[in-house]
Amino acid sequence: MPFKTTSERGAMASREEVLALQAEVSRREEELSSLKQRLAAALLAEQETERLVPVSPLPPKAALSRDEILRYSRQLVLPELGVHGQLRLATASVLVVGCGGLGCPLAQYLAAAGVGRLGLVDYDVVEVSNLARQVLHGEALAGQAKVFSAAAALRRLNSAVECVPYAQALTPATALDLIRRYDVVADCSDNVPTRYLVNDACVLAGRPLVSASALRFEGQITVYHYDGGPCYRCIFPQPPPAETVTNCADGGVLGVVTGVLGCLQALEVLKIAAGLGPSYSRSLLIFDALRGQFRCIQLRSRRPDCAACGERPTVTDLQDYEAFCGSSATEKCRSLQLLSPEERVSVTDYKRLLDSGSPHLLLDVRPQVEVDICRLPHALHIPLQHLERRNAESLELLGEAIRERKQGTQERVAFPVYVICKLGNDSQKAVKILQSLTAVQELESLTVQDVVGGLTAWAAKIDGTFPQY
Amino acid sequence: MVLRCQVEVLYFAKSAEIAGIRSETISVPQEIKALQLWNEIEARHPGLADVRNQVIFAVRQEYVELGDQVLQLRSGDEIAIIPPISGG
Ligand SMILES: [Zn+2]
Repeated sequence: MPFKTTSERGAMASREEVLALQAEVSRREEELSSLKQRLAAALLAEQETERLVPVSPLPPKAALSRDEILRYSRQLVLPELGVHGQLRLATASVLVVGCGGLGCPLAQYLAAAGVGRLGLVDYDVVEVSNLARQVLHGEALAGQAKVFSAAAALRRLNSAVECVPYAQALTPATALDLIRRYDVVADCSDNVPTRYLVNDACVLAGRPLVSASALRFEGQITVYHYDGGPCYRCIFPQPPPAETVTNCADGGVLGVVTGVLGCLQALEVLKIAAGLGPSYSRSLLIFDALRGQFRCIQLRSRRPDCAACGERPTVTDLQDYEAFCGSSATEKCRSLQLLSPEERVSVTDYKRLLDSGSPHLLLDVRPQVEVDICRLPHALHIPLQHLERRNAESLELLGEAIRERKQGTQERVAFPVYVICKLGNDSQKAVKILQSLTAVQELESLTVQDVVGGLTAWAAKIDGTFPQY
Repeated sequence: MVLRCQVEVLYFAKSAEIAGIRSETISVPQEIKALQLWNEIEARHPGLADVRNQVIFAVRQEYVELGDQVLQLRSGDEIAIIPPISGG
């Protein structure tokens, strides 16, 4: 039919209006729910001053209410837990150190199960790159403190659970006092200094420590300092050299893997709090998500000469753990300083040089998986690992690229090569390697510099459309 | 004559990254001190020296101190090298 009748046009118009109104309603509903979430977090932030007041111990509980019986009925009928166990959970307090990939699922299950009080420690704010694994935080609260976002979510889940947010880093000055106010401690942190700090504070305060960690497709969980069992230092007396430690930002992690570990950690906390006793004291459970395997490794017993829990401990108060581990507890990416300022250029200077059309080679040394995410089209890609292994094919490729770009330039002048990576650490390592290769004349004369801050700085300062990851 | 056996070495976390593999089968003496066993593995992957002081070295899923303790190994035994991970 070539044209519509008047009544049909009217019907079309009103259908469009209905759709438009529906869209507007759902937009405003979303806006309202986002405002409500922000309000809840803001209200909690207002109460933050409370944290300076010592939290009083939870009073013993004699019986469950009718509502509590209904709410916890599925776990109450488990003979191993029962009313007795549930009453113990209701008067238990747990300190959650870190509200990230482990802390979120852990706190969620502890609140759901009816643990009386949850202390939440984290200095950090919610970022968009957290949302794929830190499941208590929503889009609406990006930029807010994680502890307030988590507390608001936990309150929505179970209003009877008392959440105490501490929007601060755990430090040697605050850790002991804080840990003494709680019955069980869950280490959900993401760095080595905090792991030693939490361990030592738990040993000094006499608290059991349920410690989990995850990276890439792997997870580990152990209960330390429980019933005469070993502490973290018994197993790892010396911290690893800082340059051998990979964090989740650099190494990556799959959210489900932190979720699995956070849930196992919650299970151990619940068993301790309910009086059932943990399963992973004196043992380490490792989860290999790629192989789909769990392995339980029998650990050594307490080390008589342990610096923290041994016969004659040298750790009698909390120390400077960042110095002890040679790394920061709050810096997300370590910045290496391998090169002198003359061996480096800023993204701004590199952009100027690029625009001038002056002949040079830009070498991207990131792993292939990161180049697949985003790249500068004019860069040559050779992963750092290939340079480290002096991969013949890669060096050939590099030599060819240099000769090609050098055509028509003055032969005698050292050819400029700029090295770039994600953040400006690997690029410095690559510069060192290229310098050593030119020194032994495996490559011709070059001046090699790296781009400070890497592609992250490029995205921040030069090209706002370039992806950040 | 030294009797040898085939054991499976599993590499986790940083050690898998250093070794470039996640497992391998190697031939070792049936009777060997724990430290010697580690040294044989380190000889195959010298980069492991970086983590030797921070690993859990487990034989048949049990922690073993890197020392003079003599191990009795059989073919098929599982050796695991487990550096701590700290992410979360
Ligand atoms: Zn100890």
